[in-house]
Amino acid sequence: MTSSRMVRRVPGAARATLIGAGALGALAVASVAIALLARLGVTHAAPVYLLAVVAVGMRWGTVPAVATSVAAFLAYDFLFVQPLYTFTINSPEEWLNLLLLLAVAVAIGRLVAVQAEHAEQVAERAREAQALFGISRALAETRTVEEAAPIVLERLAAATAMDRIWFGLGASPADEKTVADTAPGEPLPIPAWQVVLQRQPGDEPARWVRTHVATSMLRRKADRATVHRVRVEASGESLGSVWALRAREEREPDRAETRILSAAADQLGQAVVRDRVDLERTSAEIARRSEALKTALLDSVSHDLRTPLATIRAAAGSMLDESVVWSPEDRREAFQAIDSEAERMGRLVRNLLDLSRIEAGALKPELEPCDLDDLVPQVARRAGTAAKRVIVDLPDSLPPVMADQLYLTQVLANLIENAVRHGGDTIRVGAASLQGGMVQISVEDDGPGVPAAAFPHLFEKFYQAGPPGERKRRGMGIGMTVVEGLTRAMRGDVAACRSELGGLRVDVRLHAAAVPDEIIAPPATSGTPASGDASVHATETAAS
Amino acid sequence: MTGPELLLIEDEEPSRRMLADYLEHRGYHVYQADSGHEAMRQWDAHRADLVLLDLGLPDLDGVDVIRRIRREATTPIIILSARGDERDKISGLEAGADDYLTKPFAMDELNARIRAVLRRAAGPDADAQGGLRLGPIELDPIRREVSVSGQPVHLTPREYELLRVMLSSQGRVLTKARLLRAVWGLAYADESAYLHVYVNRLRRKLSAASPATSLDGLIETEPGIGYRVADEGSLREPQADTARPR
Repeated sequence: MTSSRMVRRVPGAARATLIGAGALGALAVASVAIALLARLGVTHAAPVYLLAVVAVGMRWGTVPAVATSVAAFLAYDFLFVQPLYTFTINSPEEWLNLLLLLAVAVAIGRLVAVQAEHAEQVAERAREAQALFGISRALAETRTVEEAAPIVLERLAAATAMDRIWFGLGASPADEKTVADTAPGEPLPIPAWQVVLQRQPGDEPARWVRTHVATSMLRRKADRATVHRVRVEASGESLGSVWALRAREEREPDRAETRILSAAADQLGQAVVRDRVDLERTSAEIARRSEALKTALLDSVSHDLRTPLATIRAAAGSMLDESVVWSPEDRREAFQAIDSEAERMGRLVRNLLDLSRIEAGALKPELEPCDLDDLVPQVARRAGTAAKRVIVDLPDSLPPVMADQLYLTQVLANLIENAVRHGGDTIRVGAASLQGGMVQISVEDDGPGVPAAAFPHLFEKFYQAGPPGERKRRGMGIGMTVVEGLTRAMRGDVAACRSELGGLRVDVRLHAAAVPDEIIAPPATSGTPASGDASVHATETAAS
Repeated sequence: MTGPELLLIEDEEPSRRMLADYLEHRGYHVYQADSGHEAMRQWDAHRADLVLLDLGLPDLDGVDVIRRIRREATTPIIILSARGDERDKISGLEAGADDYLTKPFAMDELNARIRAVLRRAAGPDADAQGGLRLGPIELDPIRREVSVSGQPVHLTPREYELLRVMLSSQGRVLTKARLLRAVWGLAYADESAYLHVYVNRLRRKLSAASPATSLDGLIETEPGIGYRVADEGSLREPQADTARPR
């Protein structure tokens, strides 16, 4: 694309000399050829001059071609028409011949020149179109103007004879922030001239208007630069400018450069508008989503609170109905339902409170040695239901863990309740001592588990595993978040993987309490049931 | 003890057990289902007299269960919903449910609703001449006359039509859209402002006709949903009405 003929043009005087020399050369070659032909007995070889005219016309255009025609006419007269070496012509026949030669030469020269100019224009248009195509593609392939601008400027620099191009966004030149620059980091030059492209409405060609001449105080010799400004606008609003610097020459941009610069400015303007619309759409989408999330959360909080409340009211209302006679077992069952549903509600409220404390960083765990033999069966009993068995399988000689008793209870209750809600019939709670003074408590179920894609998100707030189409009640999606938050607060960690039972398994690892040896009777080395090995666990997680 | 048969569709086990126990003790025969598919099986097997349906089921959309039942029978359906969202209830009522209760609800309220929809299902609201009656309100469709405690009420044709539709749906909840469609036509289904104005005017005219007569609780507003029309039968049995805590 770096077309040398566009970037460096030969200045006027040198160009005239070049053309003159070229035309003379062509004529000389033609004259020699005619002389040779005459020697071979070919008279009337004057049309050879036409070849010279064609060559000049093709190369340099109409005016040199016509001039060459006249020169050819004179040369032929001088060199080959009797009397030789004078411009006088004797026979009227020769006159006619020479005039015909002149007419044909001018006509052919003009035709050839027009043809060549046309071809040149076509090539120029093609280059322009290619440059514009590159610019549009750069804008189409990128997502934002900031991303596209460097590529666009690169293309502009290649297609015009500008030394530096930059693009600023802002309502006025003073407010503009440079988005892209072909010579980033270099200080902006103090231009001698500033020229602004005035674009006319309708089909009138745009004009460059000199708006500002730098004062001679600031004008250094090296800075004979001209800065060109093309406004970037969209629907009448000024968005910024494309600036182009020509360091040495004071030549106005030619038609092609002007067209490319203004087309690029238009495209950038459209892209800025596109970006704005995108941004508005994105923020509207974000607002809509967070609104939807809020609604979903409220909906599930209200559902999760109302459901146990409904059971409580049903049980209490039943007992209050004096028209019904209840057996002692019925009464007991009703009160048990009230008790366990109230506990469920309490846990829910605690989760909500814990979540806000976790988010506020306001957790203050009171870590003390907790005996799992004591705590786990108790939590399992309360969080389980009549229909689902919770098997507690703790090895003997498990050391106590450093935990906040309330937090650990909440963590285990959430995990067991989760397993009860989503799991099958069997829920197993196990524990094992790990190396490095850690104890791992595992809660697993034989339910369908969660899809592999869900594992990384399992502890995210409001995350609900499973396909969105499934309407199963899944709670609020904060239980696991609370589990993680509370466990971290107790300096432990939590991980999920696929259970050997088929469902989900969640491991909570806490520090073993440093209890004097004499209190724990046997050393805790044999206690590794289930699949409590850390390395096995890690590979399972990776595989799932 | 073979009272009316109820189909209780509820996936929350403790809730379902308590409700079933209670309703059995009240003399109903209760079939239980904990999922949409189980509900459809029970429905096909027993064709209960009334369906109590929790909309949030693990496998099917509760509204689809209503549609499925409505395709085959006019069996009354009461929605039990724990969701705060009014749209669920409206779509359930639009699909053909008769009434709804928001959890948690009182047991005697459940009783009253069950009795009302069962009674309505037992026979038409109109008497032999096509006359409609709700407490002190009487509507004679032949003469197009309305009276309250014997005092004539002058109603515009729209007001008359509105009252006629309401008195024909005793013991049910009528959604706004349903009333608008019935009285004003399909194109007006979203113009709930009309309805509000007309119902208020109708209430004023009815109470002005006989200031001594209380019309409380006959046409109640269900916020966000529509209107509940009391049931002639339950008015004659005062305990069901007064027992409603409000």
